[in-house]
Amino acid sequence: MLSSSGESRVRGYLYVLERSLVLALPREIAADAVREIESHLRERIAAVDAAGDERVALEQILSELGPPLRVAQAYSAERIVDEAVVTGRVVPILRAMWHVAVTSVGGFFAALALTVGYAIGIAFLIVGVMKPVFPDNVGFFMEGGYPVALGMKFPATGHPAGGNWVILIGLFFGLGALVVTHRGARRFLGWWRGRRAVIGAGLR
Amino acid sequence: MPLESWQEQLRRGSLDLAILATVASGPRYGLAIIQHLEAFTDLVVTEGTIYPILGRLAKEGLLASAWVEGEAPHPRKYYRLTRPGARRLAEMTQQWRVFAGKIDRLIAASEENRRGAQ
Repeated sequence: MLSSSGESRVRGYLYVLERSLVLALPREIAADAVREIESHLRERIAAVDAAGDERVALEQILSELGPPLRVAQAYSAERIVDEAVVTGRVVPILRAMWHVAVTSVGGFFAALALTVGYAIGIAFLIVGVMKPVFPDNVGFFMEGGYPVALGMKFPATGHPAGGNWVILIGLFFGLGALVVTHRGARRFLGWWRGRRAVIGAGLR
Repeated sequence: MPLESWQEQLRRGSLDLAILATVASGPRYGLAIIQHLEAFTDLVVTEGTIYPILGRLAKEGLLASAWVEGEAPHPRKYYRLTRPGARRLAEMTQQWRVFAGKIDRLIAASEENRRGAQ
């Protein structure tokens, strides 16, 4: 049986854990996770020698359990990244990349590089799709006989070069960039998941 | 590569196997799994982070979980091996033994060669 201050400490730990978990997990899964961690805590507390110092024992138990933010991070990493790697779907991949970007420095730079890759792919696709709609505004823009830009200009300042090849180029490079970036994101998340399995498990 | 990184990589793939093997003999709840792992392996585990791994294994269908009330003053979530989990454990165990056997033979041959050269 814990004293009121011990009980407050446990409640505080569980509160922080729950608040952190609901940011990344559905509410019912977060609630189940908190219930399981509470069960673990109660089990450990019940085994503590009643004659000992309760505060010291409780801090030891909480320290072995790990900080609530770290526990929450391990939960969200397992779930979000796992779903992305297994399914390979766009939305889970983007959600996992966001999670990785906000939880590690390396993840941030990887997410930045992948964002550039996706943006390039989308930009090429837009050029390819818009060419038939605005034939006089989309294409290669020349200077001194050399192409210096591929894109759109409104209003049109001359006739852009490239003709209907712009459609093929836009679609080919756009889809290519998206596929390569998406595969890269999935591979990165797979690698990151393996790395997290070690760090998340607290192997030292 | 530093020795610690190598050890981490070595442990990386074995944690799932260790957990599946722990619940192979019968259902266990989280703390019992952790205590079993600590008693039989040198995997040092931050206790709170083993639960997400249990959750992942359950999501993959390798473990099944159920809350049990009335057994202790607080409810316990028990994990048991499912049929796909048992199959996965058998495959992983076989792979582990084959792999460990080959490495053992390689090291033994290397040591013998070294002795012969001296």
